[in-house]
Amino acid sequence: MSYVELQNVTKRYGNVEVINNLSLGIEEGSFTALLGPSGCGKSTMLRMIAGLEEITGGKCFIDGADVTDMPPAKRGVAMVFQNYALYPHLTVGQNIAFSMSLAPAPKALQESRVAEVARMLQLEQLLDRRPAQLSGGQRQRVAIGRALVREPKVFLFDEPLSNLDAALRSQMRLELARLHQQVKTTMIYVTHDQIEAMTLADKIVVLDKGVIAQTGSPLELYNKPANKFVAAFIGSPAMNFVPADVASREGNAVTVVFAGGNRETITARNPATADKHIEIGVRPEHLKLVASGSGNAAFEGTVSIIEQLGNSTLLYVDTAAGPLVVEGEGNLKAATGDKVGLAIDTANAHLFGDDGKVL
Amino acid sequence: MSSTDMTSPMAGNRKRSLLVDIVGAAITLLTIVAAVIWFFPVAWAILTSLKTDDETVRPGFHLLPEAPTFNGYLFVLQHSDIGIWYLNSTITSVTVTVVAVFMAACAGYAISQLRFPGRLLLWWTILASFMVPGSALIVNHFIIMAGVKLLNSHLGIILPMLITPVTVIVYKQFFDSLPREFREAAVMDGANEFQLLFRVFLPMNWGITTALAIITFIGAWNTFLWPFLAVQNEKMMTVTVGITAVQDAFGVAYARTLAGAVMAGLPVALAYLLFQRRVTQAITLSAGIKG
Repeated sequence: MSYVELQNVTKRYGNVEVINNLSLGIEEGSFTALLGPSGCGKSTMLRMIAGLEEITGGKCFIDGADVTDMPPAKRGVAMVFQNYALYPHLTVGQNIAFSMSLAPAPKALQESRVAEVARMLQLEQLLDRRPAQLSGGQRQRVAIGRALVREPKVFLFDEPLSNLDAALRSQMRLELARLHQQVKTTMIYVTHDQIEAMTLADKIVVLDKGVIAQTGSPLELYNKPANKFVAAFIGSPAMNFVPADVASREGNAVTVVFAGGNRETITARNPATADKHIEIGVRPEHLKLVASGSGNAAFEGTVSIIEQLGNSTLLYVDTAAGPLVVEGEGNLKAATGDKVGLAIDTANAHLFGDDGKVL
Repeated sequence: MSSTDMTSPMAGNRKRSLLVDIVGAAITLLTIVAAVIWFFPVAWAILTSLKTDDETVRPGFHLLPEAPTFNGYLFVLQHSDIGIWYLNSTITSVTVTVVAVFMAACAGYAISQLRFPGRLLLWWTILASFMVPGSALIVNHFIIMAGVKLLNSHLGIILPMLITPVTVIVYKQFFDSLPREFREAAVMDGANEFQLLFRVFLPMNWGITTALAIITFIGAWNTFLWPFLAVQNEKMMTVTVGITAVQDAFGVAYARTLAGAVMAGLPVALAYLLFQRRVTQAITLSAGIKG
């Protein structure tokens, strides 16, 4: 059994089913991200693990114990909330020590634990301040400290960085990664930001409308998406999808015809599927600019917009198969209105069937 | 663009500004007149209490005392039980304030934060109860208190005064307005409901509790009708009831009567002066409810 395990969990609010018969195992010491768009049920899942939401059906286990009906405080989990939930009338030190003061733990023990956590999170100078006197990043560190002081079996993070600006968010990402390396406690992290999930987690669970769309390491999800939803959700800029017809099959090799009449042979992962109309998924960096009219171009088109990002250049190309995004090098020379050909890196192209599943 | 065109917006602004000044001055004047009209009887009572009894009945209008004296006050202090009445008022008002605010906080918290059968029925009952004026219930209160033999006792004065639905409503609204993450964070930290209320929710805004306590205290101190009915024994009277006894006992002696009235109102006046901002806050909090 996994360290944190959800078995056939369902969550309903009246007639609305938010989580549908979901099963998931999370290993001890791992950093797992629950990723998905708003309303996909990721926060509900986290709150069910925390005990803040009742589980309508199924079971939840933590460290082998059935915690389905156990109150939150007894589950051995600590949670960091999106808006920090720091008590405004208490100082930083009192906020961190709050759970111990409820117990109540001896004053000396409280002080030593607060000092330890404050040292770990560089909060020593701020212990006497109130939350209103702190910056966003400092508040977030206090919220983490409040969770850390409890020495939980599992840390739960509910979109903890979404209230921070971009620079602070990347700094806090590093601090969280460092913290995980240091404490090695199981962490479950809810986010809708794929960059946070990709950079922090060693396992990502992508959720779509209350069901798991795919589970895997960040690179597995990026390189081998199980379906169109995951392929579209992971990666920025998003993957290009082009409709095509299957012309022929030979083992795993599927030859497709695009709207412009060009053909391409792509290796499928599940060749047994016999869909006629399919979609080809290609990431922007797996489309190469070639001379217009050259033999290896899968698409012909006109550059409509150019975005120069310094380290890379994004070209938006209008083709007969629809608009496509191409990612080239930073010093790529192109101008709007240029006629270009686009070649597919077929080794990194994906085939999706009518039902959205990868072929 | 002509010079007229350029200056006309400025001229318009000047006109508007002049209009604002005139309206502002008129409102200020009206406020001053209203304040004078309101304060005049208070000032007259204070000034009369400093006169001799002869001077108070002398024909003609004499606002200021010829030779200010505290004889009226000394007489009331020496010839009445005002000390005991003060004590009774303090005991009843402080008890009513502490118990009513405590109960209202607990009730407001329970209705706002807990889920239990009959919660909505309780809430609607509380909402409905403050639509019934207290004086309409006074006969019932009298019969109940007489039935349990609590007339002429502190408890008999206090119990009916603990019904303060507005305070419950203000607390409920406050607890409703707090983000649910505070509760959830504390629940995860292991707080029980009492710890949640007294260590998280109430301390987050003591201002509300202070404000409600002050208006409850002022209301309890000033209450006349219920203590007047509930107490016949002079030793159990509150100040507001006792000063009527001063009038009855001293006959037409305005200086002494008004000295008693000033002494009765003094703690409330002091409480108001000390906690003006909190009183205003409490009135603002309950304004939307009282309509």
